Amino acid sequence: MAKTESIENVVLELRRGVIVLATLSQLGSAEYGYSLLKKLADLGLDVDQGTLYPLLRRLEAQGLLESVWKLEEARPRRYYVISAEGKKLLPKMKKEWAGIVKVMDKMLS
Amino acid sequence: MNLIDRYVSEVGKHLPLLNGREDIEKELKSTLEDMLEDRAQNSGQARDEAMEIEVLKEYGSPQKVAQTYNPHPYLIGPKLFPFFLFVLKIVLTVVVSVMLVLAGIQAVTDTPFMGADFAKIIGQGLGSALSAAIAAFGNVVLVFVILERVLPDKEIGSFDDEKEWDPASLAKEPDPDSVSRSELIAEIVFTFVALAILNIYPQWLGMFFFTENEQVFFPIFTEKFFQFVPYINIVLVGKILLDIYLLRNAIWNQLTRLSKVVIEAASLTLTVLILRAPDIIAFSAESLANGPFEPEQAEIFATIATYTFPMMMAIVIIIQSIELVKAVYRLFKMRRETA
Repeated sequence: MAKTESIENVVLELRRGVIVLATLSQLGSAEYGYSLLKKLADLGLDVDQGTLYPLLRRLEAQGLLESVWKLEEARPRRYYVISAEGKKLLPKMKKEWAGIVKVMDKMLS
Repeated sequence: MNLIDRYVSEVGKHLPLLNGREDIEKELKSTLEDMLEDRAQNSGQARDEAMEIEVLKEYGSPQKVAQTYNPHPYLIGPKLFPFFLFVLKIVLTVVVSVMLVLAGIQAVTDTPFMGADFAKIIGQGLGSALSAAIAAFGNVVLVFVILERVLPDKEIGSFDDEKEWDPASLAKEPDPDSVSRSELIAEIVFTFVALAILNIYPQWLGMFFFTENEQVFFPIFTEKFFQFVPYINIVLVGKILLDIYLLRNAIWNQLTRLSKVVIEAASLTLTVLILRAPDIIAFSAESLANGPFEPEQAEIFATIATYTFPMMMAIVIIIQSIELVKAVYRLFKMRRETA
């Protein structure tokens, strides 16, 4: 039981590292939290709500995202979109990611 | 209030006290509504309470959800922790040493070297040292908990010297306008401890003497000294505020230099006023003779205390005068350089 949990934690840590990049990459156009969650899941990355929402707030506090409340279907939704600062950071993160993938492919092949 | 509203409200109760609590609650409600709508569409069933329960169960307990929004899950963060340990070691060493020295003086002057009274004084001294250490620990933790929450993240980040440290800086002349964070933190802690002793533990400002049947406490200061405490508090709080401001800004400017001059001048004035005030010291031959002392011993002890206090105050005045002159010199130097 404990062993399974620790394996799950390792996998979780591994995935957590890519969520920031995944989130920034998918917010070129505005999305609200739940639509982003589904978008990421459709692309194959299941993210827990408890991870995504605080992350969105943190990225906004860091100036990498901007958000605005919109009233849709009688329900207010908070839309997030990548900021100018986030747009500057994204290519650097993509390059870093490509480097990591290359190195890890070499190591694991 | 439906189940979703009750859940959102319960999460809100456990959210940390930060800006945006209402925002988090509003977003959470919106997300849950989206989830329910999605689920109803996919299953082809109408939304009902069973579906709400299912969604809420999936989302997790309110405490767990609220915890994910907590930016400070710890009292003192990893970046401030090394400074906390640094200051704590100094404070504990000073406090425990002072308490043990006081107990030692008391044991030597008050009783024969052996016997129950001697053991009792040593035991009491160790007990006092332990309780003082625990109180000092609590106060240091409190100061750092406040610093952790008052200082902006980037300032706390700059405490992490390892990332920014450049070996080449060893050869550089220190910038006279830069501040030493560790000194400031140590000063904040010591000032805070002084405030705590003066206002919360004034009973520590005295000595216990043990007779055969009872222990007698002699306060060092009279009520006249405590009339100065509000003014001392103002100066000490001013010092703490200035130190916190300097911690945030990391460099001296004309305003902080001027504030330093004002605070040093106020400290010096206060010390002179305390020294000049009559009947500040509570030790007198008459009062001590009521305790465990013989009249002659009481006379000697009172004389020592009466002379020691002005001498100590004179030393404090000299140190404060030097600090004031330094502060004035640095202010004028800065003004000249910026003119």
